[in-house]
Amino acid sequence: MAREILKRIGTAALTVFAVATLTFFLTRAVPGNPFLSEKNPPQAVLDALNEKYGLDQPLYVQYVKYLGNLLRGDLGVSVKLQKDYPVARIIGEMFPVSAAIGFFALLWAVLLGVPLGCLAAYRRGRGTDSALQVVCTLGVSLPSFVVASLLLFAFCGGIAGWKLFPTLFQAGDWRSYVLPCFSLGFYPMCYIARQSRASMLDALGQDYIKTARAKGLRTGRILFKHALRNALLPVLTYLGPQVAFTLCGGFVVETVFTIPGLGRYFVQSISSRDYPVILGTTLFLASFLVGMNLLVDLLYQAVDPRIRLGREAA
Amino acid sequence: MADHKHPRPPWGSLQLRAGDILAWGELTPEDFRPAGSPEATAPLRPGPEGSYRRDAWRRFRGNRAALGALAVLLLLVLFALAGPLVVPYGYAQFHAGAENLPPYHYALADQERLEAELSRRAQAAPDPEEAVERALAEAQARGETLTAVDLARIRAEARAAQSQGAVSEAQVRRELGIRPRLGGYSREDLERKAAGEAVFPHLFGTDRYGRDILVRVMVGTRVSMLVGLSAAALVLVIGALYGAVSGYCGGRVDAVMQRIVEVIYSIPEVLVILLLSTVLGDALLAYANTHTGLLARAVPLLGKNLISMFLSFGLLYWVTMSRIIRGQVLQLKGQEYVTAARALGASGARIIRRHLLPNCIGQIVVTTCLQIPSAIFLESFLSFLGVGVTTPLTSLGSLASEALEGLWSYPYRLIFPAVILSAMILSFNLVGDGLRDALDPRLKR
Repeated sequence: MAREILKRIGTAALTVFAVATLTFFLTRAVPGNPFLSEKNPPQAVLDALNEKYGLDQPLYVQYVKYLGNLLRGDLGVSVKLQKDYPVARIIGEMFPVSAAIGFFALLWAVLLGVPLGCLAAYRRGRGTDSALQVVCTLGVSLPSFVVASLLLFAFCGGIAGWKLFPTLFQAGDWRSYVLPCFSLGFYPMCYIARQSRASMLDALGQDYIKTARAKGLRTGRILFKHALRNALLPVLTYLGPQVAFTLCGGFVVETVFTIPGLGRYFVQSISSRDYPVILGTTLFLASFLVGMNLLVDLLYQAVDPRIRLGREAA
Repeated sequence: MADHKHPRPPWGSLQLRAGDILAWGELTPEDFRPAGSPEATAPLRPGPEGSYRRDAWRRFRGNRAALGALAVLLLLVLFALAGPLVVPYGYAQFHAGAENLPPYHYALADQERLEAELSRRAQAAPDPEEAVERALAEAQARGETLTAVDLARIRAEARAAQSQGAVSEAQVRRELGIRPRLGGYSREDLERKAAGEAVFPHLFGTDRYGRDILVRVMVGTRVSMLVGLSAAALVLVIGALYGAVSGYCGGRVDAVMQRIVEVIYSIPEVLVILLLSTVLGDALLAYANTHTGLLARAVPLLGKNLISMFLSFGLLYWVTMSRIIRGQVLQLKGQEYVTAARALGASGARIIRRHLLPNCIGQIVVTTCLQIPSAIFLESFLSFLGVGVTTPLTSLGSLASEALEGLWSYPYRLIFPAVILSAMILSFNLVGDGLRDALDPRLKR
């Protein structure tokens, strides 16, 4: 068991390393330079800047240096967006903003999605089920920028008398969090509801449910103790990577609601070729993602003792 | 059977119902007669000759939501393909004097009344300096003092009121009792219409360059559909092959291939697409300038961003498909017919092509169908980022993101493409769900 976990951590580290390498060479393969701009600085200035940030050295030297720094936990400094500011500190400042919104978004998505899915499965084929199906299919069909911008329009002053929430994001003011959390969590909520309905239906058709029924257990106990436990597995699989993506910020929601979060910053860093920031944020997301996948694998065992690490269910 | 007023739990009930027991009393002796030969053999007679495909179609036909969605999709295809032939405006055509038209208009007389009233009110608005003096006097009467900031605000408000009219157009319209009519016409159009000419209205209004939004939405639908379908085709080919090979070979090959999948999965797709569109953009332009042929001609037509988007799809999005197919192949490859084929000397390629992939056809069709909406999703997201379809061509996503700038004044510019986009994705999702239920009843959700 411990060996399996160690092996998993080893491959996870390997994955992160591969991502680092790939991202490094991918960003450098793109024409353009962080210091090129509309102003067209003189060559001497460019040379000096390139030298200062080590961008004048051969690519493999830069790569080895970067990996060396990475092993010491040094992500480098931003070369464009916030000059000379450490990337680690940028992530440290932006991540909590995105994570707060992402956390509440996923929280309501799970707390509402799972029960709604169970309810739909329990009332299968009835009005409740059909209504929930319509809402949830619609939910997974609406692009997030549509949801976000329509909400912004409706509740931030577009319709007279409905200005319930501030237009500009202010950290710490709870009213600024309501709409972003809602729009960020709407898609996962509908997805989770659909998924848990499907797996709940699957679980309810199993023999052990009939057995439980035959033993005379109460409906609530059958639903929540026996069926739900097995129905949660697919939801867990979905949630693992989703937690990483959502906590690192949704670009669309952050743009529409002008939230100074990591997602928006990441996209800005790509278009301005701020190499260290791109690499740092990508690695942060990748390690988070790989870590979450590992955690989900471990959680599987807690939920379903039949699953053992290292043995593929084939 | 007795009435079904009490909800039965989905797992069935072991308890007898009173109604059922009472119903036993109504059985006649006739019900206990031994079954004759036609009745006895009836259940044994095979049902109507049913191939897999016919069975699936029968199940699909029974799904009203999926059928409705299919009809909506056909309408959307018609809208996108035939629509621009009907509307006499081009999607990149500027109409001077028809900028920022709303999707409604007023009759010519009403329009003049409205404008006269608006300008009258604007003139009636107080002069900025007068307003400041009045505010100062009021403040003095209350015993308060006004800061320079307050004064500047009052002056600015008064100036704004003077230029636009203190009240909004909608308010004046309501007071005058003028009713808007369907379709946007410019002033010139209205005059031509009054002269008896037939003028096609701008049903969805126009944007700030005076381009007809209806035609742009139609062309955008076309592009979004094209993106969705071709991305799904790419994903289908690459994902199915990769998954089948990985699953069939197993062992070390499988382990390496799955690691690659994991790496691709861990890189944010936005990064790859943004970078690729820059790299490929220049390369594609150079290629188009030096070569001839299908691809070279496609570049100026579709724009470099669209093509690099296809390529990114090909590079990134097959991951889910390959995982699903791999799982299926892992299950199937232990079956006897695979062993038999191998014993007969069939090569791995032949087994995958002739035996394994045809047996996953249900999964493949369903996953491909559900891939279309997610490709459309991603295209609209990329257009939102500004790296999607390039002007003058447009897509539903770029229309929506253009509309975001003027959201407060022209909300309908967002609403029209957003509704079409959502309807399209919804229909693809519903058809996909229907296909899944029809092709693979075990997966019924």
